[in-house]
Amino acid sequence: MKKSVNIDEKIGATKFFVDEEYAHLKIKSPEVCHNCLSKPCLNFCPAGVYRFSDNKLVVSYQACLECGSCRVGCPFMNIHWDYPRGGFGVSYKFG
Amino acid sequence: MESYSFDVVIVGGGPAGLACGIKLAEKGVNTLLIERGRFCGSKNLFGGVVYTSSIKEIVPEFPEVSQSPVERPVTEEGYIFFSTKGVVKFFHTKSDSQEAFTALRARFDAFLSEYALKKGLLIAPKTKVVDIILENFKVSGVIVDRPRSFKDLRPAEVKAKIVILAEGVNRLLTEKAGLVKGPFKPEEVVLAIKEVLQLPKGELEKRFGLNEKKGLAAELIGEITSGLPGTGFLYTNTNTLSFGIGIFLNTLVNSNLKPYEILERAKAHPYLHELLDGAEILEYGAHLIPEWGLQGLPKLYGNGVMVVGDAAGLVNPLFREGTNLAIYSGIMAAETALEALEKGDFSEKTLKSYEERFKESYIYKDLLLFKNLKKFLLNNRQIFETYPNLIYEIFSLYFSAQGQYKKEVVREIIRTIKRKRGLFGVLKDIINLGRLFW
Repeated sequence: MKKSVNIDEKIGATKFFVDEEYAHLKIKSPEVCHNCLSKPCLNFCPAGVYRFSDNKLVVSYQACLECGSCRVGCPFMNIHWDYPRGGFGVSYKFG
Repeated sequence: MESYSFDVVIVGGGPAGLACGIKLAEKGVNTLLIERGRFCGSKNLFGGVVYTSSIKEIVPEFPEVSQSPVERPVTEEGYIFFSTKGVVKFFHTKSDSQEAFTALRARFDAFLSEYALKKGLLIAPKTKVVDIILENFKVSGVIVDRPRSFKDLRPAEVKAKIVILAEGVNRLLTEKAGLVKGPFKPEEVVLAIKEVLQLPKGELEKRFGLNEKKGLAAELIGEITSGLPGTGFLYTNTNTLSFGIGIFLNTLVNSNLKPYEILERAKAHPYLHELLDGAEILEYGAHLIPEWGLQGLPKLYGNGVMVVGDAAGLVNPLFREGTNLAIYSGIMAAETALEALEKGDFSEKTLKSYEERFKESYIYKDLLLFKNLKKFLLNNRQIFETYPNLIYEIFSLYFSAQGQYKKEVVREIIRTIKRKRGLFGVLKDIINLGRLFW
């Protein structure tokens, strides 16, 4: 049984201060993603930051929960991972 | 001001960094704590439960404080085994209700930082440390993502005699300082996702059988993670619930699974469906739990630097320890820093006494005791798949034994065990479990 879940709705409950000037997650080489068969990042990322559309990997760093899973979960270590700038990014009210 | 200089700079305002900061500020040490979030706690997330004994080490008056930073005392604590059909609950009612409390990190850590400020700790929020300064093989400060001045926009340098890395599980600076070789591996961390849920008014205490002086902390095993290696948790806060699951990251990566789909599937289980009916999601979050244990332990000290808390991987998943170990390690680092400041020597030779303190503590002894736990859990998936179902089936037979010859019921139970795991399999599992500790 597979249940489709709207991750955007969940993320919508969480507070963010989005840094429009600095994308803290970057794909090192788009070529590597293109050739990656399993693309596990599309699934294991708990915020659904990584999506594949128009034959391209799209990174919505704005919704990133900064957990660090993709830094080590990418089988090709193809993600340049950094924290957002000070004061930006996820800001938990509960935590 | 063109350059900043402190005796000690602490990177990260979680329990480890703040415990360290409180101890140093109390002794009048010129200390700066740098936090990248908008306030201490805003980047932090845990299950979670905090323990009074550890908090008292830094806030002796706890829990008698105005504006309590905790939610409910933990009075009901235990395990719920989830089978596809139902659950088996195993609970303990605590007599001392002041021993542990449920908590939310954005509130708890903010409380600690307020407390630290009153003790004289300097805290710089909304500031990210981007690098460490290395001079003559010694860490001598950090570089932050703030300009030096209005005129000089280069990143500011903050000099320090000692830098304490309390940066959390994603230990980028610990790697840069050369205290650990490269990033951790997916099998060394658990990805936890959590929802803070609000039930319709008045429903929380009613559904969980609580009053305002009681709280529940439950670990959930089995179908809750769809049988994958990991667990779930359900804790009652004052007016909300903390609910989530944690699964080894390598399992999610290798099986190509969406953690939030597993979470939703768990919420649809008949037992939880009824408990959580009508709940509104107030917040959704994710965090990695460092479970690399002794094998992945970084070198805890270097010239001018020490590592504390999650950055070092100080957690005990089986006994739900992490926040308390962070506090203890922060205190040990503070004691070592005081010693070094008195000596005027900040080299490895002096800071090694932090590791000595650590090795004498139960934290290290526990890490040693549990050194094979992670491998055991990953290699014995029947703990998460077979056993919760088996436990449910056994109790189902036992509790519906009326009107039958009881010897026949016992036979049926044994047949069930044989079918699900085999008597030899169970024996093997018990021996392997025992071997973990002896």
